[in-house]
Amino acid sequence: MDRRAFFRRTIGAGALAGTYLALAKRDRLFALQLPGEKPLPYDLVAIRGGEPDVMFDKGIEALGGMSAFVKKGSKVVIKPNIGWDVPPERGGNTHPKLVAQVIKRCLEAGAKEVYVFDHTCDNWQRCYTTSGIEKAAKDAGAKIAPGHMESYYHPVTLPGATVLKQAKEHELILESDVFINVPVLKNHSSTRLTITMKNLMGNVWDRGYWHGNDLHQCIADYAAYRRPTLNVVDAYYVMKRNGPRGVSVGDVVTMKSQLLSTDMVAAEVAGAKLFGQDPEGLRYLQLAVEKNVGRKDLEKLNIKRISV
Amino acid sequence: MKLKHLKTVRVVVSLVLMAVTSVLFLDVGTAVTSRLSPLVVPFQIVPALTKSVGGFGLWTIGAAVVLLLTLAFGRVYCSSICPLGTFQDVVIRLAERARGKRRFRYAQPKFLWHYGLLALIALLFLDGNLLLLNLLEPFSNYGRMLQALVRPAVIAGNNGIAYVLGLIDVYAVFQVAFHPLNIGVMVSALSFLGVVAYLSITRGRLFCNLLCPAGALLGLISRLSFVRLVIDPRTCKECGLCEKVCKANCIDSKRLHLDYSACVNCFNCVHVCPTVGLKYVGLFTPTPAKEALPVDKGRRRFLAGSLTSMTVLVGAGTDTLVVPPAERQKHPVTPPGSVSIEHFTARCTACHLCVSACPTRVLNPTFLEYGVRGVLQPKMDYWANYCNYECTVCGTVCPTGAILPVPIEQKKLIQMGKVHFVKDECIVVTKKKDCGACSEHCPTKAVRMVPYEQKLMIPETDNEICIGCGACEHACPTVPYKAIYVESNVVHLQAKKPPIEKLEKPKEETVEFPF
Repeated sequence: MDRRAFFRRTIGAGALAGTYLALAKRDRLFALQLPGEKPLPYDLVAIRGGEPDVMFDKGIEALGGMSAFVKKGSKVVIKPNIGWDVPPERGGNTHPKLVAQVIKRCLEAGAKEVYVFDHTCDNWQRCYTTSGIEKAAKDAGAKIAPGHMESYYHPVTLPGATVLKQAKEHELILESDVFINVPVLKNHSSTRLTITMKNLMGNVWDRGYWHGNDLHQCIADYAAYRRPTLNVVDAYYVMKRNGPRGVSVGDVVTMKSQLLSTDMVAAEVAGAKLFGQDPEGLRYLQLAVEKNVGRKDLEKLNIKRISV
Repeated sequence: MKLKHLKTVRVVVSLVLMAVTSVLFLDVGTAVTSRLSPLVVPFQIVPALTKSVGGFGLWTIGAAVVLLLTLAFGRVYCSSICPLGTFQDVVIRLAERARGKRRFRYAQPKFLWHYGLLALIALLFLDGNLLLLNLLEPFSNYGRMLQALVRPAVIAGNNGIAYVLGLIDVYAVFQVAFHPLNIGVMVSALSFLGVVAYLSITRGRLFCNLLCPAGALLGLISRLSFVRLVIDPRTCKECGLCEKVCKANCIDSKRLHLDYSACVNCFNCVHVCPTVGLKYVGLFTPTPAKEALPVDKGRRRFLAGSLTSMTVLVGAGTDTLVVPPAERQKHPVTPPGSVSIEHFTARCTACHLCVSACPTRVLNPTFLEYGVRGVLQPKMDYWANYCNYECTVCGTVCPTGAILPVPIEQKKLIQMGKVHFVKDECIVVTKKKDCGACSEHCPTKAVRMVPYEQKLMIPETDNEICIGCGACEHACPTVPYKAIYVESNVVHLQAKKPPIEKLEKPKEETVEFPF
């Protein structure tokens, strides 16, 4: 039961009606996690050679435009990586231009409201500011939400999970109709790489539990439970070592690439290859495949490759 | 301007300054504190003098202004600038509201006791023992009361508002974390509140003339002030009204006598009686003989007593610091810019302004972790959080110079402590699973992951580039003790810059997608 549902219950037409609404909302959310009614033209779109906003426009156009994912009047939550108190050129966070462009396209598609948040590692206010994402998001018309306190997260159970059977998820993830995952591709000291699935760790409160109880399995468990409506992988500035925080711009190469997919595994495999790392060596990825999170056989997927 | 308006001016000025000072300690968003503090904090006499011991700056000007004001007009600080003074006035006012108008009575000031106490505090200070200063200094005590007793309520209120707004998805007001509860800190703040409230309700500004080191110091200087309040014997009708309103109990209306070094310049007397007025009396006018008691055995006894108690206090101060369980972390980690535990504990009056201003909440008060001589001084609390690599706020707000302001590039190389890795307690060893939370958070990669058995990665540490920020310790998920932690540098050291090698340019542009 989330806060909003509780609120509705108390002021609504009574406990029964409230429960109905709450359940109805969960169902609707679940339904919207699945790809749109008509199949998408591509399983994966890869773009390279442009600015983050330009590449995103090309990519989303190839997938049939944002309206394929965002229905009129829907509530959208965008989850970039805003984990670190570092500027965009350090590659520690998602590029602010990309975040802004995703927001713009969501609003154009008729989204009622767009929220942006992350459960940051460094001090959240500093991360939001230094990453440039707070300003970019606000300018683009989104609302920035905090994620630094346990009170913003609400308990959920993960059916079918191997280890992570329970978690506390951010209320915006629970309440939104559309969840767009906008991670950055980078090196990671614990998981080797962080792309689509590791980014979802910022949806939950207790990350220490993941670290202390088989990180790879927890990532796969959560990925199996929470599937984003769309994944947009930012590979513009790519941190090649010393991830996930990085030490200096010396850790970063400019790859000017981007991946779009509804399939987290496919985007993860493509990202790993783009990075130059063998996806077979990523244990969390293999565990996610076992849980049918997505497909890793890129050669059998319908991929659109765009050079700008 | 008529003299009777002096009281009104004093009330307005003191309330404004108290409000601003309070905001410094209560701003839960922490953004205002560092911006606002340069406006009021340099005028807080004890912190400003303490900081001036370490070097001159804005605070020296602030201290000089207060001292010159005192030399000219007496203890203006005590009723206009000192937040604890204003706080006592508010308590007195509220008590009067509840129990009806008070009548104060003249009381012979305890000058010898008060100056003796000041001497003892000064001697202890010179020895680096801040026990008495920290327990009695008015600005710091006011700060601690707000920090320990009021701030939690403000946070609760803020979070309540944030909760309600959150229901309609408005996040302009956000939740903030409570500071970890420290019983010792809370009890000491409550005790001080109790003592000050009791004294002010029963005896007016007795605290200021009995216990306050700032009051004693400024009282000594005010003996020289050349513009003073005096009762004009030609027009005085001996009605005694001035004595009744004198919170400092320094007017003896029967003898038409005013102990000016005990006067806190509240101007209540001027407000009620036109015969009391400011008068230029000239420099070094001796205060009337009545109060200058002859040297007696009492003074000798007092001095002997001071020396004895001083010895005891110094002795008590040198005992070992509190040792946490597991024989680890024998000393608290002091914030960046605090030079060494010795420097920090010898300068910090425990006002807890840094605690209020710290954006990550890593700075938290201790009770006796630095020993008696460093009572209530804050430490880097890596259970609560870790020090943000890019932040230097504590050094900019510290009013006493215990934490010196350092430029950000210099701060990034200050080694507050060294990382210690206990391999046998690490998740990677005990559970044979990848973790790496420590290395993730490390801003210099002094903690990095290296290959371990079964394709796992395990932390490896490098204390040449570690700055002791505590990110690894905070992130480590092992319980009850962290498998990686920071051991305090008793004297801060200089870390090496993390090595930076340029990566070779990627072959990008020309290459096709690798899939």
